Amino acid sequence: MIDNIITAIDHYGETDPERICYIYGQDTNTYGELKTKSDHLAQYFAQSELPDGAPVMVFGGQTFEMIVTFLGLVKSGHAYIPVDTHSPNERLTQIDSIAHPAAVVAVADLPIEMPDLKNFTHADLAAAVQTGTDGYDHDKAVAGADNYYIIFTSGTTGLPKGVQISHANLLSYVNWAVNDFDLHEGVHALSQAPYSFDLSVMDLYPTLVLGGKLSALPRAVTENFKKLFEVLPNLKINEWVSTPSFVEICLLEPTFDAAHYPDLTHFLFCGEELTNKTAANLQKRFPDAEIYNTYGPTETTVAVTGVKLTPEILKDYERLPIGYAKEDMKIWVVDEQGAAVKPGTTGELYIAGPSVSKGYLNNPAKTEKAFFTEDGQQAYRSGDLGFVNDKGLFFYRGRTDFQVKLHGYRIELEDIDHNLDQVKYVKQATTAPKYNAAHQVTQIVAYVVPNQNDFKDEFALTQAIKKELGQEVMSYMIPKRFVFRDQLPLTANGKVDRKALIAEVNK
Amino acid sequence: MADNDNVQSTVMSILTDLTGSDEVTKNPDIDLFTTGMLDSMATVQLLLELQSQLGINVPVSEFDRTQWNTPNKIIAKVESMQG
Repeated sequence: MIDNIITAIDHYGETDPERICYIYGQDTNTYGELKTKSDHLAQYFAQSELPDGAPVMVFGGQTFEMIVTFLGLVKSGHAYIPVDTHSPNERLTQIDSIAHPAAVVAVADLPIEMPDLKNFTHADLAAAVQTGTDGYDHDKAVAGADNYYIIFTSGTTGLPKGVQISHANLLSYVNWAVNDFDLHEGVHALSQAPYSFDLSVMDLYPTLVLGGKLSALPRAVTENFKKLFEVLPNLKINEWVSTPSFVEICLLEPTFDAAHYPDLTHFLFCGEELTNKTAANLQKRFPDAEIYNTYGPTETTVAVTGVKLTPEILKDYERLPIGYAKEDMKIWVVDEQGAAVKPGTTGELYIAGPSVSKGYLNNPAKTEKAFFTEDGQQAYRSGDLGFVNDKGLFFYRGRTDFQVKLHGYRIELEDIDHNLDQVKYVKQATTAPKYNAAHQVTQIVAYVVPNQNDFKDEFALTQAIKKELGQEVMSYMIPKRFVFRDQLPLTANGKVDRKALIAEVNK
Repeated sequence: MADNDNVQSTVMSILTDLTGSDEVTKNPDIDLFTTGMLDSMATVQLLLELQSQLGINVPVSEFDRTQWNTPNKIIAKVESMQG
């Protein structure tokens, strides 16, 4: 059992400084560097007179400097808010206005100026890591209920919500992951998810506390399939962490199998529904590998259920289970009145225990709606529908609301609607997900009543709307298909009838 | 056996479905990636549909975006692969 994330990672820097920690293309970095540089950064941040305990935004891609910065910040008592380089500019402004951060660290150059906020540039960091002494003030470091990271996720009002994850939350997750996913010291993991997506925590912290290696696979590589399959076999990773969507790309390549990837022994999936077909295909390609399906909202720290997918499970369950409850958690199913239901009955999943977040940063209204206390433990109303069987295995069955997962990315449809409504060519808009036979969302369709405009055709109008929307929302939130109407269907109450549109999209 | 007309209409119908727009037929030289009409997950769908509807197996490791970025280029690629 690990009792402190920071000291567990530093242990390898102290006892085995030459041990490889991070691999990015031809570049490698060691645990010794991680410790020294993050110590120096912690001293630098401590001397920078930041307000005590205030979070700090960190803007960048998938690089070693990012994890050095994360560690430097938590050592100096500041939670970090990761913002990926692929975010629209407006995202930086929104997070700034919601989080009131102490500063922004530009590991990559900021795309906009943020003059009202203390800026640490890449050059500042480079200079700071060169100076200072070993060590940091342990009394200042993030511990216990202090926030460790804050990840922003889609909100129904069109503004993102910052999920606060404490050191205690993260510790509970990491100890469970190391134990239940059978991970060994020195494990070599794939690091594919961007740091602003909490799936990245699934590979980042269990690997670092085990003195393992992280092989970064940035978006520039994953988007170019030719490049991807030049890079992937040479990584020699043991542990695969991704969304099911990403492994489905890799399974298109016939050489993605145990013969070509003999080191690959573990597969961990989270973020969206894993289909039986994908799991069976993977099991055929990697017959000796351990394949785990997991589930968990960002609000409960990465994942709270997990199960090793054996051939028996694939045979017994056409729609795969999401797993057994993490041992220190209570997960139960309730009806619409919040009363517990019997095994086998579908209802909303409630989750309580040490990895449940304290709530949304500076958002007491949303926090109170989603969080409560159960037997003295922090608890979360997930909005996910599911049931538990008599063996304690949980199954996912959809949502109580209009939140969807698109290739692992969590999106509130109301968030897109709200931002679409702000686009100048749009009078009114409502979005609907298109599902495939395996219950996965494959496309988001926008139904739009346009304003009067001079575009020569619908395609030109669509492109203009997409362009304006893209300045406000993450690229995965931009609907692929636009349908233009004179009016949208209404319910008896006079609201836009989204369910009718969903039925139309999926007919 | 699929003739060229069939290839053309099948590819166009797949692309129309994936991009949600008949612009692909109106402007078959449009760049599908720079316009944001296709992304990597939609590309995967394209390859799967080519496989199931036309029996074309495109090795994903040889998929170079720059050679598959317009409807006309995709049609030409598929025709050449039918050999």
